[in-house]
Amino acid sequence: MTVSTGTEAPPEPRSAAARRLLGVAVRHPAVVPLGAVVLALLIGAVIIAAAGLDPLVAYAAVLEGALEPGSLDYTFSVWGFTCGMALAAAIPLRMGEFNLGGNGQLVLGGLAAVVVAGALPGPFAVPLALLAAAVLAGGFGAISAPLATRFKIPIIISTLLLSPVAVAVVSFLIRYPLAERGSGVAQTAQLPEDARMWRLPELSYSNVGLLVIIAMMIVFWIVDSRTAVGYELRVVGANRRFGAYGGIVVGRLALGAMAAAGAAAGIVGAIIVLSAPYRLIDGALLSPGYTFAGFAAALLAGGRPLLIPLTSVLFAVLQVGGAAMERSADVPRQLSDLLQGVVIVVLALRTVLDARRTGRSEH
Amino acid sequence: MTSAAVELRGISKRFDAVVANDGVDLVLRRGTIHAVMGENGAGKSTLMSILFGLVRPDSGDIVVNGVERHFRGPLDAIAAGLGMVHQHFRLFDSMTVAENVVYGAEPTRRGSLDRKAAAARVRELSDRYGLETDPDAVVGRLSAGARQRVEILKALHRDAEILILDEPTAVLTPDEVDSLFAVLRRAADGGATVVLVTHKIHEVLAISDEVTVLRDARVTGRFRTAEATSGALVQAMTGREVREVGNPGTGEPGEVVLEVERLGVTDRGVHRVRDVSFSVRRGEIVGVAGVSGNGQHEVVAAILGTDPIESGTIRLLGRDLASLDVRRRRALGLAVVPEDRRGEGTAVTMSTAENLSLGHHRTPPIGASTGWRRGFLNLRAQRDMARRLIADYDVRTSGEKLPVGALSGGNAQKVVIARELSHDAPVLIAEQPTQGVDIGAIESIHQRLLDYRDQGGAVLLVSHEIAELQALADRVLVMFAGRIVAEYSRADASTERIGAAMAGAAEHRQAGEHEEAAS
Amino acid sequence: MQILEWGFVAAVLLAATPVLYAALAGALSAQVGVFNIALEGQMLWGAFAAVAGSYYTGSAWAGIAIALVSTALFSVVLAVGAARFKADPIIIAIGTNLLALGLTGFLLRVLFDVSGTFAPRGLEGIPSMSFLRDIPVLGPVFGGQTVLVPLAFVLCIAAGLWLRNTAPGLRLRGIGEHPEAAASLGVDVARTQTWTTVAGGALCGLAGAQLALGNVTVFTENMTAGRGWIAVAAVMLVLNRPLWLPVACLGFGAAEAFGFRLQGLGAPQQLTDAAPYAITLLVLVATRLRFGSKRALPS
Repeated sequence: MTVSTGTEAPPEPRSAAARRLLGVAVRHPAVVPLGAVVLALLIGAVIIAAAGLDPLVAYAAVLEGALEPGSLDYTFSVWGFTCGMALAAAIPLRMGEFNLGGNGQLVLGGLAAVVVAGALPGPFAVPLALLAAAVLAGGFGAISAPLATRFKIPIIISTLLLSPVAVAVVSFLIRYPLAERGSGVAQTAQLPEDARMWRLPELSYSNVGLLVIIAMMIVFWIVDSRTAVGYELRVVGANRRFGAYGGIVVGRLALGAMAAAGAAAGIVGAIIVLSAPYRLIDGALLSPGYTFAGFAAALLAGGRPLLIPLTSVLFAVLQVGGAAMERSADVPRQLSDLLQGVVIVVLALRTVLDARRTGRSEH
Repeated sequence: MTSAAVELRGISKRFDAVVANDGVDLVLRRGTIHAVMGENGAGKSTLMSILFGLVRPDSGDIVVNGVERHFRGPLDAIAAGLGMVHQHFRLFDSMTVAENVVYGAEPTRRGSLDRKAAAARVRELSDRYGLETDPDAVVGRLSAGARQRVEILKALHRDAEILILDEPTAVLTPDEVDSLFAVLRRAADGGATVVLVTHKIHEVLAISDEVTVLRDARVTGRFRTAEATSGALVQAMTGREVREVGNPGTGEPGEVVLEVERLGVTDRGVHRVRDVSFSVRRGEIVGVAGVSGNGQHEVVAAILGTDPIESGTIRLLGRDLASLDVRRRRALGLAVVPEDRRGEGTAVTMSTAENLSLGHHRTPPIGASTGWRRGFLNLRAQRDMARRLIADYDVRTSGEKLPVGALSGGNAQKVVIARELSHDAPVLIAEQPTQGVDIGAIESIHQRLLDYRDQGGAVLLVSHEIAELQALADRVLVMFAGRIVAEYSRADASTERIGAAMAGAAEHRQAGEHEEAAS
Repeated sequence: MQILEWGFVAAVLLAATPVLYAALAGALSAQVGVFNIALEGQMLWGAFAAVAGSYYTGSAWAGIAIALVSTALFSVVLAVGAARFKADPIIIAIGTNLLALGLTGFLLRVLFDVSGTFAPRGLEGIPSMSFLRDIPVLGPVFGGQTVLVPLAFVLCIAAGLWLRNTAPGLRLRGIGEHPEAAASLGVDVARTQTWTTVAGGALCGLAGAQLALGNVTVFTENMTAGRGWIAVAAVMLVLNRPLWLPVACLGFGAAEAFGFRLQGLGAPQQLTDAAPYAITLLVLVATRLRFGSKRALPS
């Protein structure tokens, strides 16, 4: 029984059939994400217009900038990193948990990769670096699971608190013990030739790392839809008590999900570091904002593996096209961050629809 | 002296498809203690929520002290002189007794909270009604009984003349129950009107002046307590007709497969299960009777392993379960049909096929336990099994992909039963397997349980319905206040006997109850 | 090196102040049961609004007022979304944080045609309380500070006492602890949550104003640099109690001021940056070890 809030006027005598139809339409799973994007673009258009610019020109410039042949290569790589960080958010989201520690996991992956690849150049440098990144960042992400099970500290809070610690420690390591000698910039030395991510023919930004991320997404899709573990994740996300009653060990599942999420973020960090300019630069992993673009993509996709590549396209295009829009339409590229924020807020406020629908029921 | 303090006339309320109250009339006379009885889901909580302004009725009138009222919220009800003590206390644990009592109607002095006046008010009310309390104690550290006294003081502070108590004795020790009843009697003698919502028959007989019984959203009985018998009350509460399913046990039951010994369960300092021992053998259905809330659910949770136990041992197929988690217990041979279908037995947003797969997802044919496919799901096998079970159990649905939330209660319950029986576990626990299920589905579920037993399964059947137990069980245990107070063979399990035991007639204050370890 | 000189105390107070305002906002929201992690974005918006306001009006006081009001308006999204529509405050906050980052950068370009940093000639900072300069102790500590610095501590203590000793304070505390109980006693939970969160927005406006017009006189993109998250950590650390916030925030301020000094000696500031988060987590674990799982999480 819940307490009424005094807003239960009798329902307006609207046509029941129309209401029903509206109810069905609103419930369709595609409505909310699509509506959020459309609404965000509209709000963005209003802001652009208010700034005295032409929204259509701006949006056209975004699309053109991101999708013109010359920049597709770059857009692809941004899309890949966004997808990778979306995985880091989506895996725990599948079981109803928020991973806000993407930044920390990302830089730890970069750190592990640069250390391992720098120490062991050679044919195995890249796989070993990726492995090290997955292990270190995965282990770091996994810390949150026992903190939740044993100490009842929610995963969202522990990831939030752990992440800046990792970021600061890595920043410290870059500036002092691992700093490139004789350089005024806070960065590590450049990795040797044979410790760099393998290139793909004719592409300069996207490399084999992109394939690694695509492989991770395929693995997540298979795990999510075809394996017992993925099934358990979804069951726990849908109804935690149902899962526990059915014999699912929720704590162990959280451990696996957080480790996998951390590993995904770590691998993204490793790939960035193993790509040009082949070094770990303080702040460079975080400044493009992959973590929150990925988070937004995962939220928009509702954690569903097959939707993540699509929603990531949106944020990758916004980011890459944002720079082009700035050049050609003179609309500041910060519009991309702004739109990301608006998409997430609109998505969160979808409960407005629920409030309308169930305004009167109190059970 | 006997004028009506409250009259409810023709109260009806439905929540979506569920009718909670259907034309209920209730008259509460001033200066009396009136018991409102009924099973879980009979509609008594909704009725009280309506009276207290928490829920608005779809139709019907509320008349308080001769004036018709339309409560927009509890504040209106409070202003009209009503006060409610909820079953689950609504107290601020970090605050003192005095702060809790005056919250929302605080005495102030020069802009700040007047703690002295608040404490004085608490003392004054405590003395007047014999409610022993320390105004400065922090509520979070108080016993359940003391917390309840704070709830009563809250109502009295707002000058409530009509006091509603929802299942007030559920959390109390016998001594605390006695002193609560003394307080209530004192209040009634002083002119207050007391409504006691309960399903405990002996309490009704002990304290009330009048009784109204609800069943399935309607009034099924009105009594003056002096003229009521426990048999008549049980009849009014549980009289749902269940068609007899022919049930001769086929031959002697086999060996013991489930054995519970001296089980004790404590929840936040309250003893829920005390010293419970029983066993279930192959090929028999052991029924557990009892009014809801007497420890049956806690016994089930203890066997399944979702809640920790305080003491005792549970053995399944001879194996001690203490060190096994839910998954291993189920793998060993346990299936459970839980009481809370939506909250525990299904994931309403997931498809019927996925709901049917839980527990099957790591064993063939859906899950592969060995080889390179280990850990993978066979989606075709999942679909095939779902279709087979849907057909076998006559689940009315448009397909296995439909979310369980879209099914009717009876069909959703068939999904749960189908899943649990399809585990072919030697031991099945079925808790309220036909609650909220239509008549046709009830028969088919009963037949399933009998077939399962006839094939050598051991069933522990927990039910509030005496008729259901009589129809199915080979033996009936009766639980009351966390203990097994009676056991009847099939031949002896008459409605009168079970009803009396359910009402606590067999229960006399045993020395054990007074040791009631604190915390 | 003399560390405990009055100048150092002043530096600690200065560093602590913006965090303290934001933390007070977070603590008040937490008291009414709204988990507010939107502080970072709100503070950033406040900083921008203060600078823009001061630039256009030529008055730092007008800048403060504009920061206060516009940040309060900005927080309405979180307040109404979480309290009225029961949307997830975490998701809204993540969204508004990104929104603030994007919007301030966007407006910086559109309005002032600069990117990164905006420090026009003649931008009015908040005047310091130079009249105190000749008084011993007060002079060296507060003489160079804006009035917003002592105000933050006064507000914190006032809020703590108000929560503890007044009837509205009692009601506020009750809402966070047990909203159903509060509602059953006639308190309008959603409305109180909304207004408290909006008041928190105003406080974040002050945080931003002090940061951009007090600590410095400049707006730079993302100039809050995690101070809002430190404030969230501080709130958790003190279990939502405003009276204890000054202690926690002074600790953070000391770490920052100390870090600056140590940095001069070549020590890593990064590690002092990490300390508040690590300490908060360790304290949370330690309290759970002591109280077991009985204690409700401060959120």
